[in-house]
Amino acid sequence: MNEELLKINYEKHKLANGLEVILYQDKSLPIVAVNIWYRVGSANESQGKTGFAHLFEHMMFQGSKNIPKGEHFRLIQEAGGSLNGSTSFDRTNYYETLPSNYLELALWLESDRMGFLLPALTEEKLNNQKDVVMNERRQRYENQPYGLAWEILLSNLFSSNHPYSWPTIGWMEDIKNFQLDDVINFFKTYYNPNNATLVIGGNFDFDNAIKLVEKYFGEIPSSNSIPSVNAPDEKLDDSKKVIHEDNVQLPRIYFAWHSDKIFGYYDASLDILSDILTSAKNSRLTKSLVYDKQIAQDVSSFQYSGKYAGMFLIISTAKPQISLDEIKKEIFEQIDLLIKNGISDEELIRSKNSIKSHYIYSLQKLDVIVDHINHYNFYLNEPDSFMYDLNRYEKVTKEDVINATKKFLQNPYVELHIIPKKELIK
Amino acid sequence: MIDRTKVPLPSENISFEIPKINYFTSSKGHEIFYTRKEKLPIVSFSIVLFSGSKFDNENQNGLALLTSFMIDEGAGKYDAFQLSNEFEKLGTIFSITVNHDTFSFSILSLKENFERSLELLSIILDEPHFEEKDFQREKKKLLDKIKQLKDEPSYIASTAFDKQIFQDCYYSYPSIGYEQTVNNITLDDVKDFYVKYIKNSKKKFIAAGCLSENEISNLIDKYFTSNKILIPEVKLKLPEKSVTKYFIVHKENSAQGEIRIGHLDGLRKSPDYFANKLMNSILGGEFFSRINLNLRERKGFTYGAHSSFNYYQNAGYFEISTAVNIENVGESISEILFELNNIKQSITKEEINLAKSFLIKHFPSNFESYTQLAQSIALLLIHNLPLNYYNEYIHNIESVTEEEIINAAKKNIHLDELTILVVGDKNKILPQLKTMTNELIELDIYGNLIEKLSL
Repeated sequence: MNEELLKINYEKHKLANGLEVILYQDKSLPIVAVNIWYRVGSANESQGKTGFAHLFEHMMFQGSKNIPKGEHFRLIQEAGGSLNGSTSFDRTNYYETLPSNYLELALWLESDRMGFLLPALTEEKLNNQKDVVMNERRQRYENQPYGLAWEILLSNLFSSNHPYSWPTIGWMEDIKNFQLDDVINFFKTYYNPNNATLVIGGNFDFDNAIKLVEKYFGEIPSSNSIPSVNAPDEKLDDSKKVIHEDNVQLPRIYFAWHSDKIFGYYDASLDILSDILTSAKNSRLTKSLVYDKQIAQDVSSFQYSGKYAGMFLIISTAKPQISLDEIKKEIFEQIDLLIKNGISDEELIRSKNSIKSHYIYSLQKLDVIVDHINHYNFYLNEPDSFMYDLNRYEKVTKEDVINATKKFLQNPYVELHIIPKKELIK
Repeated sequence: MIDRTKVPLPSENISFEIPKINYFTSSKGHEIFYTRKEKLPIVSFSIVLFSGSKFDNENQNGLALLTSFMIDEGAGKYDAFQLSNEFEKLGTIFSITVNHDTFSFSILSLKENFERSLELLSIILDEPHFEEKDFQREKKKLLDKIKQLKDEPSYIASTAFDKQIFQDCYYSYPSIGYEQTVNNITLDDVKDFYVKYIKNSKKKFIAAGCLSENEISNLIDKYFTSNKILIPEVKLKLPEKSVTKYFIVHKENSAQGEIRIGHLDGLRKSPDYFANKLMNSILGGEFFSRINLNLRERKGFTYGAHSSFNYYQNAGYFEISTAVNIENVGESISEILFELNNIKQSITKEEINLAKSFLIKHFPSNFESYTQLAQSIALLLIHNLPLNYYNEYIHNIESVTEEEIINAAKKNIHLDELTILVVGDKNKILPQLKTMTNELIELDIYGNLIEKLSL
């Protein structure tokens, strides 16, 4: 059943200017999803000039040569569509889902901002969105309990010139200092047809869709060359411990290890490891910390992997009056136990079944499917990799999980404590 | 070169059929709301009981939620770990949600694992263990969660706002309760709540998925005993309308001010519902709405600002919410008040057309996933709306007149009844409010009065 379900029939084209186009037809509903990945993320920035890729996630909605400020959102919403964008280390995506008869509108809007953003880019728009981004940073990170943990971990796990060492939103100082010239140059360098892949999914006609893509994107010139990212493999020589005071009631401990890259040999094994440690009540760390010993309010773990590096994280919030060292001791005991005694068949099957079902659940929404297609195309150069991806998990053995744990979780790590501010402890 | 100056028009007309929701009673008398969807081998299923937090005992706020934490901590022959194991083995997502009005159990499962998932759910409903050791742990977990929320500015703002708007009625308390009220709860209280409001109470069943009416009906009859006891209605004592007042909850050194502004409003069944919905799209419901364009796209004070009419089963309220840079709190409130006043003065035809177009054309996308379908059905049950409600929706939006939308703003936005509340550093905020009010009321993080400050 799964084989057929997860098979994606698609057409892949490349325009003369280098734009990759992937068409995936699904006529079950009268909707169409358009999803562009630009091969630029925060990893393409440099220290002192961080946050540009994310800034574009804002500037790209500020209008372009033929589209006044505010119109991009208005036109898509007027058509009944929904739209957004997101930024990660490796890429930025822009997407909209619309009633299928509005495909041309989406292509017109996407092509205008790909080819003609700069004529409409002004200092005033930049200053406005700088303020918005600073407020986004305040709302999502600075004014949130534990909100700065992620960037503290990144900047300690990676050396300062590694492109994963800063947060995608950028450092506040850098956001304040965005200069129009730098913004223009960043756009000229990365937002080109030969640095992007356009996926169209849903209810459309193949010939008509490719004709429309050709019409709107065909005349956008390609750029000469796109600078490559310099990201040598890194390792920590010694473990680091960082203590950060924040407006929180309960202390929280974080561990971050360097791990495998995305689609690397151990990437799937580490996902399964995180399930075995923390996905459900019966997972090892949850059972021991939250249920048996009751020293933690919660515990979670995950493998976060990108093109240039991966990391494995374990995070746990202490119960009142419990020291983070006690939690740390138990976490490491559980890791040692896992390495020494291995894992059970049931633990492995449970995780695999759960991953398999979630794959099928993820096929419910067209916008998720087209983003997956872009994801696979970007990392594997093969859009139809749903089955391949699932098979990676199917193939993981008990030994793989133990070997992955040994290979990565026995290395030096970053340990972060977020603790209540002194005056609050009393 | 192509002409890029013209907005491309939509191609052919398309039609979309809103899924038909069927209602039937099984041979055992279970009430089932069902819609069939074939595309994927998935079933989304819920059991809804109208026994939410509003049934919390006096001074025991948090009781319904704590009962939901306890009910799947072991049932029948399974302990808590085995139960969770069984669901994970199936790849089924099982969840329990509690709000003021409802207590619901939901399953998202593959069709092949649906029957077993349903069996597990029936065991949880019929034979929960409710053991003392689990109770102590879950209660402590809830208490520590309450403690953690003391530092969530947006949670504090919403809780304090609810408290001010709803005063002493049951919608003023957070479902999660307070430290003191949760401390008052014993295991016997949980067991009583379960017996009184869950075990024998009439349940409504919702299913969306690739199952036939017969299949779903037989499965429900196979695993669930029929209960006919109706959950009693609790009388709601709605508070008096308030007059406009300013409130502050102090959070030292906060980077932002969390703002809530609003007042009580009518019920979901109000004849003004559709006019309000359209008017609010123009005012603050969407990205393109006036308040967001002003505060975000013109002023840059915020990452986003939003307004909505919200509906409980027995009450409704209007609320604007945003988080703004701490230096711009005063100006942001002024701008919001300007927009509230302004929408009572004028609404353009263009704005109305945009709002209508958005609500109508966006509507079908609410029915894409199995989970969305099940949730749409649940909404009908909570507000007692007719089964063909969604099929009539587009027509209902279309037929609202320009005059009705303008009147909705005039009639349903009350500038003299506003609760204006900010969570943030009062030392920075106070000076900014001086020109706007003489009196500022300081509240604690739960929305209780601390003192009145003169400005």
